[in-house]
Amino acid sequence: MSDASRNKGPHDIGGEEAGPVDTIDHGMKFWERQANGLRSVLRERDLVRTDELRRAAEDLGEQYSKLEYFERTTSALRTVLLEKNLITEDELKSKMAEVRARFNVPDEMESPLKKGARR
Amino acid sequence: MTSASPPVAKPRYPSTYNPAPGHRFNVGDRIAIRRTFPPGHRRTPFYIRGKQGVIERICGAFANPEELAYGFDGEPKKVLYRVRFLQKHVWPDYNGPQHDTIDMEIFEHWLEPLPDTRN
Amino acid sequence: MSNPSFDYYAQQKHGHAHEHDHARDKHAAIETREGPPSEYEIMSRAMQELLEEKDLITADQVRQKMERFEEELPYRGSKVVARAWTDPEFKQRLLEDGKAACAEMGIDLEADRLIAVENTPAVHNVIVCTLCSCYPRSLLGMPPTWYKSSNYRSRVVFEPRAVLKEFGTELAEDVTVRVHDSNADMRYLVIPMRPEGTDGWSEEQLSEILTRDTLVGVTTPGVTRK
Repeated sequence: MSDASRNKGPHDIGGEEAGPVDTIDHGMKFWERQANGLRSVLRERDLVRTDELRRAAEDLGEQYSKLEYFERTTSALRTVLLEKNLITEDELKSKMAEVRARFNVPDEMESPLKKGARR
Repeated sequence: MTSASPPVAKPRYPSTYNPAPGHRFNVGDRIAIRRTFPPGHRRTPFYIRGKQGVIERICGAFANPEELAYGFDGEPKKVLYRVRFLQKHVWPDYNGPQHDTIDMEIFEHWLEPLPDTRN
Repeated sequence: MSNPSFDYYAQQKHGHAHEHDHARDKHAAIETREGPPSEYEIMSRAMQELLEEKDLITADQVRQKMERFEEELPYRGSKVVARAWTDPEFKQRLLEDGKAACAEMGIDLEADRLIAVENTPAVHNVIVCTLCSCYPRSLLGMPPTWYKSSNYRSRVVFEPRAVLKEFGTELAEDVTVRVHDSNADMRYLVIPMRPEGTDGWSEEQLSEILTRDTLVGVTTPGVTRK
């Protein structure tokens, strides 16, 4: 495998064949708007950098194309927050369990961190 | 890039552009994008690597995203240029008119000079 | 099963299980739910809560950003271009230095650096970010789903005319289609051609036909308004 193909990130898609564009704007769910707000606040306060978030998304490899846009950005934010030790893996696991319980989501719904990407 | 200054001093507004001290290239210079495929976070898309274009505008010096992405400060800043390409020079089988173009921003360290054919 | 009327922020602020408590908390966002939250939604909320608990951010800051993105930012681009249509000297300044021209109008682009590109009878501009989804958010708000889609990102750079056709836009062969891949620090706004039949229109009337899609360059403004 040449350097060219080995080092092409999953995000670097300009020029690839693809299907028709769905020209309807499907908007954003509430949590996505909130996630965008969160990212915006963090960048403004210089807690994370846009470039770091982009890089973390690009490092998703095969998962990149399997996740939706805000799933990618959320995954990228998690990576950068952990890198900078602004949150820890344990803290996140506990908090997610707490949030899950608040929504009465059944425990059987496994985290994609364990399961891998899902469509 | 700007017209002559009026006689009355204008208030200073923030500019789109940054200063570009020591910039290597000038508007109208014919250049090629380096044909290299290093790993890591790059803002030079794969599809433009090795292609020939013309400097359309000097944007100024900006912190290097290739460093910012990994938590470094991106200094020293690198000069960013807008480069214009003829689509037919980018895609071997471009099926639109020959005068269609594509523009993008490229950092100075990705650019190589081409001989000026008028010399 | 999750409560479809669950309003997380109202509950958190007042510490009791009340949904739709926005009579008391005017900043509580109204949320309608279409099913249980995904793992990523849970992850995002968990991260936000942790950062709030660590006093790195506040819920108010996030809420204010959400409001700004929803209620303010999306309308600014059309105002700027409507001004450019009515004031040729402003248009010139906008083309020379987009950020300064917006500041002149009292529109602070914050981190964005704007390059305005003008459609003419000879040139049609269209904007993309192939690498992610860079977009002039400070002028247009959040990008539409199609702009972020892989099909748009990958195809508009090598077959712009085919993609534009999918949006209902066809251009003559003698018009140059110019694609801008916003891959670094600049952000782009298209100044469409002002259509015939708009003489004497106010800036407000003009801004109504300057829809988001016309400012990204996938459509051109029409005079028949919705």
